[in-house]
Amino acid sequence: MDYDREKRTIRINKELNELDKFAFEFLKIVEKYTEYVIISGYVSIILGRSRATEDIDVFIKKISKEKFCKLYKELKKKGFWCLNAEDENELWDFLESKMAIRFSKENFPIPNFEVKFPKDYLDRSSFEDKIEVVIKNKILFISSLERHIAFKEEYLGSDKDFEDAKHIEELFREKIDKSKVNKLKELIKRRKENEAKKNFYEAGQN
Amino acid sequence: MKQKRIFMKPGKTNAEDRMNFVKFWAEFVKTHSDKEWSRQQNMLINSQIQNSREIMKNKK
Repeated sequence: MDYDREKRTIRINKELNELDKFAFEFLKIVEKYTEYVIISGYVSIILGRSRATEDIDVFIKKISKEKFCKLYKELKKKGFWCLNAEDENELWDFLESKMAIRFSKENFPIPNFEVKFPKDYLDRSSFEDKIEVVIKNKILFISSLERHIAFKEEYLGSDKDFEDAKHIEELFREKIDKSKVNKLKELIKRRKENEAKKNFYEAGQN
Repeated sequence: MKQKRIFMKPGKTNAEDRMNFVKFWAEFVKTHSDKEWSRQQNMLINSQIQNSREIMKNKK
C-alpha cells in the first residue's frame, strides 16, 4: 500500500472482496450524477482493517431533485433497491431532511450503502481534501485520514470507532498531520456543543 | 527468506486486548504484501456477505 500525501492518492495492490465489488458497482453509477466521498468504517476496511461491516457510509454532493430521480431510476435498473421507501418523492424528502437513505442489491439487504447529503460546513469540506484510492485501475474516493481519525475519536467514539482510528494511525503514522486532526477535533467539539444546545432548546419547546 | 515474526502484547482487559490486536494487525498489513493481507481480510468479509445471502435465499 502506497500513500502519496502530496497527490492525495493511495495505491493498493489488493484482491477485491465482495464488499469492494459492491462498492465499485454502486459508485460507478453514482459518479455519473454527482460527486461522492466515502466516510467512516469502510475507509478503515478498504485500508486493511480486519473487520466486516453491513454498510458503507457515503456523502453525495447535493443535486437537484430531477437529477436524483434519474440516479434512482438507474440504480433500480441496475438491480439496486432502497430499504427506506420506493417512492422517489419520499426518498428525496428524506435526503432533504438531512436523513440517510440505504441502498442494497435487490432482496439482499447486506451489504448496503448509507447515502446522505452533507449537513453543514464540516461535512461539505470532506470533498475538499478527499483521497483517491486506486485498486487495479479502479478508483474510489475516501475522506482524508485526518478527518477520518478526528470524527471516529471525537464524534462517534465507540470502541469500534477508536479501533478504526487506531488502525489508520498505526498504518500511516509518519504521514498523518496531527495538527490537522486536532483542528478538526475542535470544530467537531463546537458542532457537538451546538447540537446539544439545539436539542435542549427543542426539548423545551415540546 | 524467513519473515521476521511480530508478536502481540496480551491486554489486561478485553478492550485493551482488542486494541493490541488492532496494532498487531496494522503491523501485519505494513510488513506483508497487499495480496497477502487482503487474502486474509477477504475470508472474513466474504464469509459475512455469503452467509447473509444464503439466509435470504433460504427465506424465499
